[in-house]
Amino acid sequence: MSPTLQTRGAVIGYGGPPIVRGVDVAIPDGEITAIVGPNGCGKSTLLRALVRLLSPEEGTVLLDGEDIHRTPTREVARRIGLLPQSPIAPAGITVKELVARGRTPHQKVLRPWSATDETAVMSALHSTALTDIQDAVVDELSGGQRQRAWIAMTLAQNTPLMLLDEPTTYLDIAHQYDVMDLLHRLNTRDDRTIVMVVHDLQQAARYAHHVIAMHEGEVAAAGTPTEVLTAELIRTVFGLEARVLEDPVTGSPLVVPAHGPGGVR
Amino acid sequence: MKILRIGPLGITTHQRTFAVGLALVGVLAALLVFALTAGKADISVFDSIKAAVGISVGAPADFIVGQVRAPRALTAVLVGGMLGLSGAILQSLTRNPLASPDFIGITMGAGTGAVLTLWLVTATSLWVTAAGAVAGALVTAALILGLAWKRHGVVPLRLILAGIGIGFVAQAITQYLLTRMDVHDAGNALGWLVGSTTGRTWTHVTVAALSLAVLVPVVLWNARALRTMEMGDDAARALGVRVGASRGVLAVCSVLLAAAAVAVCGPIGFIALVAPALALRLTRNAGATLIPSALMGAALLLAADQVSQQMPATLQFPVGVFTAAIGAPYLLWLVWRASRGGPS
Repeated sequence: MSPTLQTRGAVIGYGGPPIVRGVDVAIPDGEITAIVGPNGCGKSTLLRALVRLLSPEEGTVLLDGEDIHRTPTREVARRIGLLPQSPIAPAGITVKELVARGRTPHQKVLRPWSATDETAVMSALHSTALTDIQDAVVDELSGGQRQRAWIAMTLAQNTPLMLLDEPTTYLDIAHQYDVMDLLHRLNTRDDRTIVMVVHDLQQAARYAHHVIAMHEGEVAAAGTPTEVLTAELIRTVFGLEARVLEDPVTGSPLVVPAHGPGGVR
Repeated sequence: MKILRIGPLGITTHQRTFAVGLALVGVLAALLVFALTAGKADISVFDSIKAAVGISVGAPADFIVGQVRAPRALTAVLVGGMLGLSGAILQSLTRNPLASPDFIGITMGAGTGAVLTLWLVTATSLWVTAAGAVAGALVTAALILGLAWKRHGVVPLRLILAGIGIGFVAQAITQYLLTRMDVHDAGNALGWLVGSTTGRTWTHVTVAALSLAVLVPVVLWNARALRTMEMGDDAARALGVRVGASRGVLAVCSVLLAAAAVAVCGPIGFIALVAPALALRLTRNAGATLIPSALMGAALLLAADQVSQQMPATLQFPVGVFTAAIGAPYLLWLVWRASRGGPS
């Protein structure tokens, strides 16, 4: 069975020279995929094309075997949820109101709010442990809580696929792992397919089943964390000398930069 | 979040928003009764209301209430509503409480268009002036958008700066046109440019009511898209909103509402700036509150009109002067809050 979401020869850009230059990626269903790579490698651009925010200049993005650009916006929104890099919380919005906005693609002009919507919102609040603070104003939350609220909004959208653009950036380390554990739960318990752009190779190695490493607009490697995160790949993709050990906690690859006092240089 | 469901259409709203809406309707009704009955002529409240709805009660009341007070009050209500709605849409689209059609030059452009038609076409009817105002507003809006456009979209701050600039240019053109007009026409144009509800007739009410009847359904149809776009374009698109199309439709509606308001009453400042902000504060909604903003605009303009009208004759002034007088302190307050880094 072919994967739900894949690209074929996708060339993606913003009008100038293309940022992503002809990539074929397949997002394995039911797994967590991490897209990694240095700044400017095109990982966020690829993610935006996967959810139809950008259209490829050449090639296609296929959703259930069909060109995603022939699928109506609202239909795409019922199948793929996205947490953008820097979403804006309207001033004064409460957690529950924000989460409720995730139901937008399921609503109609004259039938705005149903029992199904209510259930989806309550369950999203529950999954993200926000039930107790559902009436709090989003602006006044801590960074970690705010990010959970946004994830809850994406959850309420109730899509089999969830795409997240740097969900842990700007969070302290404990909250980063909170978010990662939450994504892991959503994947194992609710069987959601998750695609995340992450900077931290540690998080990619521990939580992802599938890693796509991008370099200068192309896919440098794709596969399991062990296959992809090798010292050689980290040298070519990031230009960083590193040793790859076995993570004492999970057994996944542990990337240890060889730079620093006493290291290379 | 207490949600209220109304009727088979399943219109949902927050209880507080609904209560504020009801209260505003009440205030508006009270103001209307006052506007119809207050004045020097000795006409009973009951007769006034009858005359206003077209039931003949005898000579002076039929004229004073039926032809003077009623159309003037209704014009104020409808135009206030248009301004409130126009401002609410614009502030939400730009995520900026300073964005209102009178601030980003739309109102000035509409004024220039109207004065230009007054200059070109002698003996104009209201419909011609209205067409001129709409054309002026649309041209201005297109210019502002062109200047604010950067690569892939409109940058909100550029929009406001471009709007302020274009507004001054439009005002300069209006001034120039006034110097070229003959004295009588220029006098008329100048009186209209202050923004006033004086001498408005049922034709004015018709123009305003028709504009609202066409534009309000379009706006409400796109209300959810408007609220979703407040979370950023990417988030809105990912939630299934056709951002480009919705934003275009809403921006045009906002411009047309402002243009129609200018066509009917001349440029009345600050209602479009203040009404949405007050509505937001009262309802404590996050994001656009369209209907309360419209109701607030209507109540504000009618109240301002009554204050300026019920003054002793020597102190009477056009309502536009009065709205500017209440709007300016609000603006200063906004700037003061912003400079202290508080939420605006």
